[in-house]
Amino acid sequence: MQWNFQDIHNQVQTEAQAINSPQALEAFRLKYLGKKGLVTAIFASLGEAEPAQKAAIGKGANDLRGLVGGLIATKSAELNCAKTFGEQVDFSLPGTGEPLGHTHILTQTTQEIISIFEQMGFVTIETPEIETEFHNFTGLNIPIDHPSRDAFDTFYLDAQDPSSKGRRLLLRSHTSPGQVRIMKAHNPPMAVIVPGRVYRPDAVDASHSFMFHQVEGLLVDEKVQFSELKGLLTEFCKRFFGPKVIMRFRPHFFPFTEPSAEVDINAEILGIGRKKWLEILGCGMVNPKVFEAVGYPKAKYKGFAFGMGVERMAMLKYGINDIRLFYENDARFLKQF
Amino acid sequence: MKLSLNWLKDYIDPKMSTDALVDRLTMAGLDVEAIEYVGKDTVLEIEITPNRPDCLSILGLAREIGAITGKAVKNPKIKNLKTASLKKRVHIENKKDCSRYIGTLISDAHINDAPKEMKTRLASLGVHAINNAVDTTNFVLMETGQPLHAFDYDKLAGGKISVRRARTGETIVTIDGIERKLDTSILVIADAQKPVAIAGIMGSRDTQITSTTKNILLESAHFDMGLIRRASRILGLRSDSSYRFERNVNFEGVLTGANRATDVLLQLTGGHLSGRGEISSKAKSASLKVKVKISDIEFLLGIKVTPLKVKAWLARLGFKVTAKGGILTVAAPANRADIGQDVDVIEEIARMIGFDRLPSKLPMIKMTNIPVDKRPREIKDQIRQVLTAGGIDEIITHSMINGKALVKSNMAEIPAVRIFNPLNQDQELMRPIMLPSFLQVVATNINRGQKDLRLFEIGKTYFKENEKETLAILLTGRHSHDWRSSKKDMVEIFDLKGVLDRIFQTAGIDAAYEGVNMPLFDPACASKIIVDGKQIGVLGKINRNVLNNWGIKNQDIYCAGLYLDEILSKPDKYVRYQPVSEFPAIVRDVSLAVKKEIPYKKIEEICLKQGGDILRSVHFIEQYLGDKIQSGYKGIVFSCQYQSNIRTLREDEVTAVHERILQTLTRDLSAIRR
Repeated sequence: MQWNFQDIHNQVQTEAQAINSPQALEAFRLKYLGKKGLVTAIFASLGEAEPAQKAAIGKGANDLRGLVGGLIATKSAELNCAKTFGEQVDFSLPGTGEPLGHTHILTQTTQEIISIFEQMGFVTIETPEIETEFHNFTGLNIPIDHPSRDAFDTFYLDAQDPSSKGRRLLLRSHTSPGQVRIMKAHNPPMAVIVPGRVYRPDAVDASHSFMFHQVEGLLVDEKVQFSELKGLLTEFCKRFFGPKVIMRFRPHFFPFTEPSAEVDINAEILGIGRKKWLEILGCGMVNPKVFEAVGYPKAKYKGFAFGMGVERMAMLKYGINDIRLFYENDARFLKQF
Repeated sequence: MKLSLNWLKDYIDPKMSTDALVDRLTMAGLDVEAIEYVGKDTVLEIEITPNRPDCLSILGLAREIGAITGKAVKNPKIKNLKTASLKKRVHIENKKDCSRYIGTLISDAHINDAPKEMKTRLASLGVHAINNAVDTTNFVLMETGQPLHAFDYDKLAGGKISVRRARTGETIVTIDGIERKLDTSILVIADAQKPVAIAGIMGSRDTQITSTTKNILLESAHFDMGLIRRASRILGLRSDSSYRFERNVNFEGVLTGANRATDVLLQLTGGHLSGRGEISSKAKSASLKVKVKISDIEFLLGIKVTPLKVKAWLARLGFKVTAKGGILTVAAPANRADIGQDVDVIEEIARMIGFDRLPSKLPMIKMTNIPVDKRPREIKDQIRQVLTAGGIDEIITHSMINGKALVKSNMAEIPAVRIFNPLNQDQELMRPIMLPSFLQVVATNINRGQKDLRLFEIGKTYFKENEKETLAILLTGRHSHDWRSSKKDMVEIFDLKGVLDRIFQTAGIDAAYEGVNMPLFDPACASKIIVDGKQIGVLGKINRNVLNNWGIKNQDIYCAGLYLDEILSKPDKYVRYQPVSEFPAIVRDVSLAVKKEIPYKKIEEICLKQGGDILRSVHFIEQYLGDKIQSGYKGIVFSCQYQSNIRTLREDEVTAVHERILQTLTRDLSAIRR
């Protein structure tokens, strides 16, 4: 039997090009490489071939097998690719895994306030919530039976103050006792921030809670001016509310600062009208009587202090209209921030 | 304090719009909280800070507006009255309690309605008209700030007045008709027999002015501020008078008030002045002189001043100033008891200039001289990051709880610090444990249809001796939905343990677990968390009956609570690099059946002990608790990884060690190879 390998090769090439389905590819494979296929037939013909021809026929069969195998591989890859292109991944389907949880908006707001002051060189110190009369009142120039206590109605505990006979321990009604503790323990210079929970027996409504959070600030050094207090708080408000914030300092009274001021921001920055002013914090120059109470030498130091309510800052910044939402912990509230 | 602008104009005309006046007052420290329109009048509600009792009157506010605007105040003409002395009819037990008392007797008075103008004035401040005598006392109180009281003189037994402490057991029926029990801490005005007024707070019903009153005894006095405040608190009784007395009234104003009221009463009642009894502890209130350095003013406010300028600012407030060698001596008016040190004067100067016109600059902040351990806050922040990354939301709950919440949580016996003066039961205890607050949050959310909850809080729990930084975590409901799998898995205890593992990894500590019996938890699923041999917390599945108490049905809840102080106080670990092995590892899987009560930890310990140098690690693969294993046993599958840092291990040496491990497990734990 004579084999025209050139013709066979041409035919194989032509047939391969026409293959457009896996079925046709399989038929092609069977035709050449199957048990009854052409390659088998060529090898089978070797027995009858002239001895001089055998080597050529053997080589021709092997070449053909290689050629067909190669074409099948190429074609198969083409057809498979076509299949993959046909079933595109839908990237609009959701990714899997746990969605992120949320830190509480009061934590976020506290962190934001603290980090602004830390960037300016303040350090953060936490002091206890259960306090003594001295730290919460007397050391801050708030005497017993004095109307300046009206602003600080206080929860007392059914527990005696071990440092003061006949006096009960109390829940701090502001973070200012932190000032007394820190100054009693350390000498200036100091620039500290005291964040934390405070308590006042107020009836609960949309703007009052018997527990809330404050951030206290205190800077003490030998030379401190009122203008620096103004400058610091102006910078803080710009960073917290935005560079366009309009503020005003108006005189106020706190027993532990003199002069004292309250700071208002103009409501315009919050998009709620230009006529309204919103109180955001209290501040002042540390009253010399407080330095005296913590045992600092007379007239050596000056300082300023400020305090703000975290809930109030968050309510203003995020448009939250009811303080109770913070402690109710409805998942739909928590997941917004 | 309410300020009627019509009334104000009797003494000063600010000559500016209401808006401008409101702004000027606010920027001078008299914060206008509300503006009210009453008929043709405009009434400002002004917040008067406790240091400024001198502003608790229309005249006081007129003086302040005069200082702000530089305009003059027209004081009402007050006659100096001369009459017979009734000094013997007044007695003061202790002049510390009452430093001045002026009783003025007006005879043959006719009690009628007050004139319309007076009634309108009072109505604008929200004061009800009663009769010409009582209205006069209220009018003069509002005008001058001096509280006054009018008695029906004929109802005073013995025609005498005594200012004394109440005696134990005494009572009084006040004008509001309520009988009040008195004690020796309360100052009263008494006649020869009984208290006829609670000093500075309210008079008695029996001695009040009525339409039949003929003779009036007008009281003008100065009582100790702390005494009035305490009595007002004890009795739960406040009045316009007590409000002013507890803030301190002006010693000089006692006489001015008495004269002004007497003058008006004589005009309105047609009575005549028949005598006055006055007792004073001193002739005149001493005016306190404060020394202020010009250099201190300039430094604190950051401005240049001259003695002349300071004098001019302070003169508007009625302060007298003398200057000598850069030091000013300032005498404030008698009604400005708040001016006691140099900074008080500096604040007044700042107020007159306007805080907004003072300079502003960034402070120079030096390195703080306080050693601060930043690690506790850093670890708390890291814990928050780990938890939120795991899909857990932070909550903030109240530090106080209702005792019933502990009972509902099977934790009634846990000692808790009690609040002495709670407003309601929800504030009666400081929480000794966080979980009841969490169950409340869960119940609320489930009621609103939110059942898949993963929550944590970092806060305090409170004890007699201290307050502890505490972390609580709660998981309930389904895992987040994976749309590729058909299963909707519910969270369970190992999800919670995994969360704890990540926290401990963050903090660089190792925790151990040991079963615990706590009525809050399901006894089969509760464990202590132990660090360095010390229990720092618990975790477990909440007991079904606790969930029933909270009305939580159809879902299990897993909770953990731990004290962070133990973690936060650990010093940061220094990590030393361990070389990575260049030689291949050999891994052998092991499948065993062991008695159910044997913890996996025990198996791992034996492996590590017997494994010697070449056992690198033991990995848990799975636990089987089904019925394809003999009863009382569980299937455990794990793998042992063998590796050396210095050479390739031979199969036979690994086999020898591995066999030794398996034999020890079989011998010591009666484990059966599967």
